[in-house]
Amino acid sequence: MRVLGKTGRNAFHCVPDQFTGRRLGRSGMRPCQTPSIARGRQLVCGLTVAHGMGKVSLALDMIPSAQTAAPLLQLATISKSFGAVRALKEVSFDLLAGEVHALLGENGAGKTTLMNILYGLFQPDEGEIYVRGQRVDFRSPADSIRAGLGMVHQQFMLFPSLSVAENVIYGFEPTRYGIIDRKVAVQEIKELSNRYHMEVDPTQRVGNLPVGICQKVEILKALFRKANILILDEPTAVLTPQERDGLFIIMRGLREQGKTILFITHKLNEVMAISDNATVLRNGRVTAELCTKDTNPEEITRYIVGREVMLEFEKPKQQLGNEVLKLEGIKVNDEHGLEMVKDISFHIKGGEIVGVAGVSGNGQEELVEVIMGLRPLDGGAIHLEGKDISHLPLNKRRKIISYIPEDRFGVGSVIGASISENLIMGYQSQAPISKRWILRPRSIASFTYSLVSQFGIKVAHISESASNLSGGNLQKAVLARELSHGSPLVIADQPTRGLDVGSTEFVYKQLVDYRLKGKAVLLISADLNEIICLSDRILVMFEGQIVGEVPGGRAEENILGLMMTGAWNGHHRADKPLAG
Amino acid sequence: MENSTGVPRLPFKNRLFNAIGVLQGPVLAIIGSIVVGGIIILVSGRNPFEAYWAMLKGAFAGERLINLAATLNRAVPIVGMGLAAAIPLKAGLFNIGGEGQMVLGGFSAALIAIYLPIPDAIMLPVVLVSAAIVGGLYALLAITIEDRFNVPLLIATLLLNYPARLLTTYFVKNQFRDTVTAANQTLPVPAAARFALLTTGSMLNTGIFIIISLIIISALVIHRTVPGYNLRMAGLNRRFAIYGGVDIRMLEFKIMFLSGAVAGIVGAVVVLGVFYRYVDMSLTAPAYAWVGLMAAILSRADPLGVALAGFIFSAITTGGYGMERDTSIPREMSVFLQALIIMFMAVRTSFQLKRKTR
Repeated sequence: MRVLGKTGRNAFHCVPDQFTGRRLGRSGMRPCQTPSIARGRQLVCGLTVAHGMGKVSLALDMIPSAQTAAPLLQLATISKSFGAVRALKEVSFDLLAGEVHALLGENGAGKTTLMNILYGLFQPDEGEIYVRGQRVDFRSPADSIRAGLGMVHQQFMLFPSLSVAENVIYGFEPTRYGIIDRKVAVQEIKELSNRYHMEVDPTQRVGNLPVGICQKVEILKALFRKANILILDEPTAVLTPQERDGLFIIMRGLREQGKTILFITHKLNEVMAISDNATVLRNGRVTAELCTKDTNPEEITRYIVGREVMLEFEKPKQQLGNEVLKLEGIKVNDEHGLEMVKDISFHIKGGEIVGVAGVSGNGQEELVEVIMGLRPLDGGAIHLEGKDISHLPLNKRRKIISYIPEDRFGVGSVIGASISENLIMGYQSQAPISKRWILRPRSIASFTYSLVSQFGIKVAHISESASNLSGGNLQKAVLARELSHGSPLVIADQPTRGLDVGSTEFVYKQLVDYRLKGKAVLLISADLNEIICLSDRILVMFEGQIVGEVPGGRAEENILGLMMTGAWNGHHRADKPLAG
Repeated sequence: MENSTGVPRLPFKNRLFNAIGVLQGPVLAIIGSIVVGGIIILVSGRNPFEAYWAMLKGAFAGERLINLAATLNRAVPIVGMGLAAAIPLKAGLFNIGGEGQMVLGGFSAALIAIYLPIPDAIMLPVVLVSAAIVGGLYALLAITIEDRFNVPLLIATLLLNYPARLLTTYFVKNQFRDTVTAANQTLPVPAAARFALLTTGSMLNTGIFIIISLIIISALVIHRTVPGYNLRMAGLNRRFAIYGGVDIRMLEFKIMFLSGAVAGIVGAVVVLGVFYRYVDMSLTAPAYAWVGLMAAILSRADPLGVALAGFIFSAITTGGYGMERDTSIPREMSVFLQALIIMFMAVRTSFQLKRKTR
């Protein structure tokens, strides 16, 4: 342990040898504070982080102060497991009164679990939560609300058929002689919405309101319940840019009025625009606690996607074959009409791995779903081996495209079924699995048994339930199923997320082997090292567009990082030399 | 241990364990309800052992096993309706509109048998197939409403029970009433459309073989065919089935049709095997569809399990009559026992859920 600065009892400890960010100090000291609110406390700005490549530790503006106030909300070494999956590993961070704190991380990094713990929906396996220094035990959302926490969920929790006022007062109705006092309710809501600059008519029916307003209703609901800490779960995901700017104005207004905001997101520009401090989660661990004004998007990106162990992977040369996948001007809109994928065109040849890099939420998910036919195409065309498959139904596409989905538990497998039932999906209506719609148990047994031994899936027996498989073994099963189809294209979406090093290596080897057979591989990953080490070409996605293309071997992480944050200007194609 | 394909076989011990694991829940639920029911009987000042003995005799004994025949006869519609509920339940769909589908099936079976000039030789098959189609189409209506108007299937099926019940009541009171009798019932069906009696002294008839074959066919289809596999996977994880290329919407329409068809056949079997005419309320008053739904839940929607659970529920009901005769404990006790079984099942399910989330 190295001590950087020493100012009386406010010694600022930086712990360089830890990879996961444990707290900076129990005293509630933070890397950074909003000066306007931090009156009477020390203004410390620094950051303590350590990651795979180098260990950074610096401390700025060490201003000693008389006393240190306890943080408003404190999480201490929270751990939470679901079965064999450790969703949170000793997560600690502090929320200071009057700050906007961004909580960043990829899908599956543990943000939602953490949020559900704060909201009393899950109880942590280990660790404590303190509000104003008092230990609290959130057994239910009611406990959490009582402690002053207000949650604005990504999916709005509103009654569409009720009015704004009825929604806001729900559960905390002002009454007069035991009867709901609507007048007082409407009055109070008007006052609240004026105070925080939210123009909402309390008498409107929620079902008639646009999403942007519904979100304001959710915020009002939390404020009406006297929340001091507002937790916003990816609030901008459903908003148009204009609505988003409106939300930021509201958030700043709330901060001015002394409210504290925990802002969950994975959009870096938003973190930079609105937050005072940021905590980054990866794989259930805190990888960095940053002060927004002293960091930059590239640095944050590194903490979000970086990997502890850089896997070196030998990739033999491979002759490129014919064009397998060709996308022309793909456009995808989401349910709210927002453009998620804007005019994407690229191709993949046989024997080629094309990686799509990017911070998740920039349209990768939609791109994959539209290629698979899980989502309608709003423009452009998809060709596979020269044939237009833009409107081919999903069940036909499944026969020609293999797909390793991002969510291997929720989509890629059935936990409640046996291993062989998991392995035959997609083959069920063809020989040798079935003959004229009749399943052939013996053929199924020998087929699945051969897959299990070929891919080294560790199981006691093929009729055993898939719930007994570890995450790595389950992913092996998904790979075994998808890669033995022999289809010309395989889409691997975050194929190694949450896997240990051994399983990760196995997945890499399988994908490279598949490429060696002259097949095309589309790899979607938020892990930069993975993309660099596997891809022949790398496409970088940002806000629904491909903002750059880099050859795999020559890719430099920092340039990719810049591209991923949209900070790289102009289009760079492989044929043009890369600056820097 | 290896068989001809070279795949190691699951040891017998493990298979035994799996079987026990499946049966554990229902068996514990039944034991629990017997114990609690016994305590209630004891508190009300009677001897529970005597009561249960009377119940057993009432359900299975009697002269020439007449009570067993009555139990089996009652089990026919319960098991049939249990199957109608179990098929969609296995795929994760709730069809609680079995009652309406059964009523329409039974009513149309009676009308077709009475009014259409069908040769005797093909009378029964034609009537059964028509009843199946009517019930199936009525179930399709429910899922179409869900598909088109976003009315949840649960609500759509439940609400469609009422028009079916009320319309048949209206018709059987007016246009199709047998004016010779005082009751609200149709004319009797011709002899060729009747299931033959299997015993004297009970209404047990050859219709039971229809239900037994439906059970066997469904068990085979669910466990041994590709559509059955798709159905099971859809029930376990809908997103996995979609991802796997199963045309899930089409599958759900087919499942609902089949479920309604089974319900329609059950209605026809009761009409043609027990009453020989459509009698108003005869299918709805004994709540066959609801007891059947309980059997489906108790057996976790497994066809063979439905048969067993339906038989047990039927035995509890017929046994209740015997208990009332012998010990003066009201037969409503049997309804109470059935409700307890379901409550114990529900308790177990929530316990399991808790253990998983912790």
